[in-house]
Amino acid sequence: MTVPAPALHLRGISKRFGSTLALDDVSFTVASGTLHALLGENGAGKTTLMRIAFGLARCDHGSIEVDGTEHHFHSSADAIAAGLGMVHQHFMLVPALTVTENIVLGDCGFFGGFHPSRAAERVRQLCEETGLGVDPLARVSELAVGAQQRVEILKAVSRNARLLIFDEPTAVLTPRETDELYSWLRVFVRGGGTVVLITHKLREALTLADDVTVLRRGRSVLQSTVHAVDEAQVVSALLGEGPALRTPSPVRVNRTTGDTVLSATSVTVADTQGSERLHGVNALVRAGEIVGIAGVEGAGQWELLRVLAGRVTPQSGSVRLPAHIGFVPEDRLRDAIIPEMTLAENVVLPRAGGLHGRIAWSTYAEKARALALDHGVRPPDARAVGTLSGGNQQKFVLARELEGSPEALVVENPTRGLDIRASDDVLERLRAARDTGCAVVMYSSDLEEIVSLADRMLVCFNGTVIETPVDTACVGRAMIGLS
Amino acid sequence: MSALGAFAESSVRMATPLAYAALGELVVERAGIINIGLEGMIIAGAFGALAGTGFAGVAGGLAGAAMSGVLVAGLFAIFVVGLRSDQIITGTAISLLGLGLTGALYQAMYVDAGVIGRTTTMGVWSLPLLRSIPILGPAFFAQPALTWALYAIAPALGWWLYRTPAGLALRAVGERPAAAAAAGISPSRVRTFAILFGGLMGGLSGATLVLAQVGGFAEGMSAGRGFIAIAVVALGRWTPLGVWLAALLFGAASALQFLAQAMGWSVPYQVWLSTPYVLTLLALAGARRRSVAPAALGARATE
Repeated sequence: MTVPAPALHLRGISKRFGSTLALDDVSFTVASGTLHALLGENGAGKTTLMRIAFGLARCDHGSIEVDGTEHHFHSSADAIAAGLGMVHQHFMLVPALTVTENIVLGDCGFFGGFHPSRAAERVRQLCEETGLGVDPLARVSELAVGAQQRVEILKAVSRNARLLIFDEPTAVLTPRETDELYSWLRVFVRGGGTVVLITHKLREALTLADDVTVLRRGRSVLQSTVHAVDEAQVVSALLGEGPALRTPSPVRVNRTTGDTVLSATSVTVADTQGSERLHGVNALVRAGEIVGIAGVEGAGQWELLRVLAGRVTPQSGSVRLPAHIGFVPEDRLRDAIIPEMTLAENVVLPRAGGLHGRIAWSTYAEKARALALDHGVRPPDARAVGTLSGGNQQKFVLARELEGSPEALVVENPTRGLDIRASDDVLERLRAARDTGCAVVMYSSDLEEIVSLADRMLVCFNGTVIETPVDTACVGRAMIGLS
Repeated sequence: MSALGAFAESSVRMATPLAYAALGELVVERAGIINIGLEGMIIAGAFGALAGTGFAGVAGGLAGAAMSGVLVAGLFAIFVVGLRSDQIITGTAISLLGLGLTGALYQAMYVDAGVIGRTTTMGVWSLPLLRSIPILGPAFFAQPALTWALYAIAPALGWWLYRTPAGLALRAVGERPAAAAAAGISPSRVRTFAILFGGLMGGLSGATLVLAQVGGFAEGMSAGRGFIAIAVVALGRWTPLGVWLAALLFGAASALQFLAQAMGWSVPYQVWLSTPYVLTLLALAGARRRSVAPAALGARATE
C-alpha cells in the first residue's frame, strides 16, 4: 500500500429516525489533505452523516475509520480525540463566556487549574499562527457572526484537529467574510489539513473543492473529483428527476412614480449600549418595487430593516409606515415562530394582541391549512411548526406574513439555510408580491442573490445608507466604504 | 455583651446554615438546575447529624449529615438528570418527602423508642487577638468550626468556578448545554456532580442547625431555609462571595428580631423577617440591566 489511508472513511452508514430512513447505506471517503464538498438538498442527510462522523449521533449500521483506524465514537469528545473538529451551522458557543473560555472549554482535564490571562495569551498566539483574528477576552455575545465562526475554528484547531467539518459555513457570512474563510481553508488544506464542506452553494463548492459527494434522500448518488464532473451533472444528481431548476427572471421594474409606501427621514438609532447604529439615515420604498439592502455585519442594516418594519422606534427622525407590514426576521426559530405550537396557533400569534373574546380555532386551522397548501408547505397538516424542515418553516412564515396582502414586506436573509429549490420558491414569492403592488424590502448576505432580485439597492456602511446601482461590483465596493 | 454585639453574633450564627445551603445551591444553579428539593436535603442532613452523633460524636454527626444530604440529592438527580423530569415538580416532591420521612423516622427511632433526640454541640473556636475587636470580633472570630470553614469554602468555590476547567465546564453547562456537549463535556455528568455537591452542602446546613445551634433534632426544624437559600443565591447574583454576603444579610435580618426584643421596639418580628425578601425583589428588579442568571436555568435536560 503506497496510497495513504483516507482521512475519513465512513462505510455503509444507515440511520433511521422513527419511520424514515435518514441515511441508507452511505459510504463516504475523504482523502487526506483535500477539500471535500458534501452537497445535497435540505433533508438529504448531509448534516446527519457528519453528526455521526463527529460522534454527536450514533448510526444503526456502518463503521467509521479515521486515518485508517476504526473508531467507535460515543461522544464528540472521542471524535475530537481522534483529530476531528466540527464548525456547526448554529454555532456551539456559550454566549456568556469569553472567547478564551469558549476555546478552553472541555479542553484540559477535569481537575487542575487554568489561568485566564495565560490562557488568553495562548489563544492570542493561536490567532497569530492560524491568521484568524479575534479578541481573546471579548465576550462571545458581543462578537459579530464572522468572528464567532473564527472562534469555532480556533476551538477545533486548538485541539489539533486535522480534519475540519464545516456545516453551511457561509450561510451567515458577508461576502467579504466568505472570501476570507475560503482563503483560510485553502491555506489550511495546503498545510496538510483536510476539510469537509457541507454546502448548498453549488458554484462555490465546485470552484473550491477537490472532490465532491452528493447525497439525495439519504443515499450517496455521486462521488467524484471536481475535474471529472460538470455543473449540470451535479445539479441533476442533486435534484434527481424533479422539475428543472427555474432560472431567476432578470426582469427589473424601474419605478420612479409609484406611491411611497415606506419612508424614513433623518433616522438615528442607538443600541442598548447607547452607541449609534444609524446616523441620520434616509430611505424610501415605493409600491411595487423590491429594494435590496446590503451591508457587512453590523453596518446598520439590522436596525434599518427593523425601523422600516416598524419593530424599532428611532431615537430621532421620522418614519412613515403603512398599517400592515409583513416582517420575516432572519432567525425564524427565535423571532418568527414558536416551534412547539401548531400552525394555526402560529398564524394567530402576530394578531393575538388585537383579538378579543374566543378564538375561532376551526377557522384558523382551516386558514393555516389553506396557507400551507397555497405556499407548498409540506406536510400541510403538520401539527407543531417545529416538526417542519427549515425550508418549509420559512415558506410557512412567508405565507403568514404575506397573508392579507400587506402594503409592505420586510424580509431578512429569507433563503438562509434553504436548498436551491426552496430558495427559488421563496424568491419567486417575493417577486409575485412585488408584482401585486407590495413594497418589498429585502436584506441578504448573499450578494449575488440580492443583486439578482432587487430593483434598487441601498447599501449600509458604518451607520449610513447610500443608494448604488444594482450591480455586484458597485454594491461590493460600497459595502466596504468605497464608491 | 452589648446589644449590638449580640446582634452581630446572632447575624453570623443565623447566616451559617443559609450560607451552606445557598453555596451548594449556587453550584447546582450554575449547572442549570434549580433545586427546590433543597429543603428536603437540609432536613435530611439534620436528621443524619442526629443519627450520626449516636455512633461517633460530632464527627459522626457531620458524616451522617453529609451522607444523608447526598443520598436525597442522588434521588433528585435520578429523576431530574436520569429521567429528565420537571425540576420544579420533582424538587417540590423531594422537599415534602424529606420533611415527611425525617418526621416519621424521628418518631419511630426516637420518640416512640423513648430515646432523647439530643446531641452534643460543637465548641466555639476563637482567635485571641481578633476576637477582641469590638462588636465584629466575637461575631466573626468566636464561632463553631462549621462557621469558620465557610471562610475557606466561599473563596475556594470562587476560585474553582472561575479558575479551573471543571468550573468552566459547570458554567458552560448552565449557560448552553448543547455547546458544552459539542466541546466534549457530558452535561448529564456535570449536572449530577453539581446536584450531589448541592446535597452535601444542604446536609451540612442541616448539621449546622443540629450540631452548632440547637443541640438536637425537631421535626421541620429546617423551617423554610431551603427556599430562603434559593433567594439568597439570586440576591448574591450567582457568585460565591456575593452569595456569602447575601446569606449574612439574611442572617442579619433574622437577627433583627432579637435586637428589636433587646431594645424593646414594638414592631412585630415578622416585619424584620420580611426585610430580606423585599431586598431580594429589589435586587432582582435591579438585575434587569444585564441578565446574570445562568441562561439554561430550569430548562429540562434534552441531550
